[in-house]
Formats: sequence, C-alpha cells, structure tokens
Amino acid sequence: MKRKIFSRFSIILFVIGLMTAIQYNTINEPDSRDTRDVWEIRQELSREKQLHSELLSEVGLLDSTLSKYDEISSESPEQALKDTVEELRGLAGLTEMTATGIEMTIEPSAEAVAFGEEIDYIAPDLLIRLVNEINRNNGLYVSVDGNRIVNTTAIRDINGLTTVNAIPIQTPPFKIKIASNSMEDTEKLYNHLLSSRILDDFYIDNLSVEISAPKEQVTIEPYEKELNYRHLKIAEEE
Amino acid sequence: MWLSILGLILGISLGLLTDIQIPPEYANYLSIAVLASLDTLFGGIRAHLQQVYDDKVFVSGFFFNIILAAGLAFLGVHLGVDLYLAAIFAFGVRLFQNIAVIRRIILAKWAEKKHVSETPS
Repeated sequence: MKRKIFSRFSIILFVIGLMTAIQYNTINEPDSRDTRDVWEIRQELSREKQLHSELLSEVGLLDSTLSKYDEISSESPEQALKDTVEELRGLAGLTEMTATGIEMTIEPSAEAVAFGEEIDYIAPDLLIRLVNEINRNNGLYVSVDGNRIVNTTAIRDINGLTTVNAIPIQTPPFKIKIASNSMEDTEKLYNHLLSSRILDDFYIDNLSVEISAPKEQVTIEPYEKELNYRHLKIAEEE
Repeated sequence: MWLSILGLILGISLGLLTDIQIPPEYANYLSIAVLASLDTLFGGIRAHLQQVYDDKVFVSGFFFNIILAAGLAFLGVHLGVDLYLAAIFAFGVRLFQNIAVIRRIILAKWAEKKHVSETPS
C-alpha cells in the first residue's frame, strides 16, 4: 500500500517538476528578440561603415596636422600653433566662413498672404528641427538670420520671441545660410532638404521655404558673443 | 520517499534540459496549474499523515483541480475579469492550511517519539 502511495506521489511530483521547469523556461525567455529583417540590418551596417569612414578621415586629418607640426616646429613653432588656433576658432564658429553652400529663405506662404493672415512668428521647435535636419546632413556651418549656430547655441522662446543665441530673429522672411566642406556635400544636403518632410512642417505653420541651388560661395557670419566656458573643465591627462 | 524526490528531480531536469517553452500567453495557465498541483500534493501528504488517504481522491483531485483552475483562468480572460485570482486565492489559502496541519502532525509525532524514547521502562 505504502509503495503504491509513493509511486503516485512520484508521478505527481514528476509532473509538478516538469511544469515548474517549463514555466521557468518560458519566463526566462529573452524578452526582446531581434526581429530586424535583412534590409534593416544592412542599413545599420551602412551607418556603422559611414561612421568608420568618418573616423578614418578624422584620423587622417589629425595625422596631417601632426606631420605639419613636425615640419614647421623646427622653424617656427609659434606659427604652427597660431594656425591651429585659427583653425579651431573656425571650427568653433568664431570666424567668418566662406565655403560652398546653400541659402534658404523662410517666408510667409502665398496662401497665408492671400488670406491676409499675419505671420510674424516661427516656432522655436520648428527651427530646432530644421537645424537638426541640417546638422544630420553635412551642413557644417549654419547661420540663422545672421546668427551663427555654434555648439552652445540655444534656440528658444524668450517672452514670445523666437531667439537664436538670445537674439530675437526677424519676422519672416529671413535667411538661413548653410555651408559645407565640399560641393558634393552641399548637393547632398540640397537634395535631402528638397525631399525632406520638414518643408511640409513649415507649411503647416503657414511658412514656405525657398532653397537656393548650391552656390560656390556662401559667407557665414561669425559668432559675435563671448563663448560661455562656465561648465568646461580641463580634461585630466591619463 | 526517496522515490518521490527522485521523481521531482527527474521532472525538473527533464524540463530544463529539453528546453521546452510554451507561448507566453499560456504562462498564466501553467502557473495556476503548478499551484493547483502543489495544493493537491500537500493535500495528499496531509491525508496520508491523517490516515485518510485515498488513491482515487488524490489522482482525480490532481487533474480536476488543474482543469478547473485553468478553465477559470480561461473564462476570466474572456470575460475580462481576473478570475484566476480566485483560483490563486483558494489554492494559496488551502496550501497554507495543509502545510500547517502537516507541520502539527509531524511535530506531534516527533514529540511522541521523544516521549517514548525518554521513558524506556
């Protein structure tokens, strides 16, 4: 009799163990499966490759700077340093920059004018979106209505006025200038902007955007204020 | 007794090694089924200790409880009411009661044994 009971118990315990283990397996399943298809993975790969080539070109640039130092340092180290400082000021947006680029004109849309609506405002969000769109697509030097966009630039609403670098921008129409390193980059940016949905977003706000064809010479104004270094710290040497 | 533990170990290892999985929608049912079977198991142990164990009651209770619990959960899902909570509550309460009874019986037996061994005359 006792034997029979225990054999029953073992069978039940076996089933319990099995169910518990299956439950454990199910709960511990990795919760996010990779469901990307081939094309998404290819896209990811191409992004990474682009990053790779960008990094490589940066390495090349730094190498050339280094060799320049080596060449010049024997004769005049001062000049080499000055050159570098000038270059860095250019990158930071403190100098005027003339390069290939395009000009965009933001103006009230014809429909809005026809209806007699008064357009005297561009939303900071829209402007930020546009600048992000430009930054993403090879636009290296940007100025909005004569205000250079630098790393610390804030585009925001101050007392109902949209400001760039705390300077209110004009009511539309005004110009946005964008310059890139090469004509190829400029053309890419131009084509991208023409096809991007950002123009529709402007249209919703009763604004139309006119994009000039790529020009050989676009002059971007320098950043006119003092750069704010308050939160910068000297990196510690390792 | 060792046979039962062997059964448990065998079940767990078989489940883990074969890596069987069920769709996550059914995980709820399985957890209730596990609870129901645990309840039946402890009920069986209690009955055995109280000398009222019956084979048919035990085995039928095992399957019936599981089916009832899963059915309740299924109904709950389709009615939008968390009926499986009822099953969890009922089984949980009974589980604790059964374990408490088992504990008392074992304690009583242990005390009795001690008493017997202390008075050998």
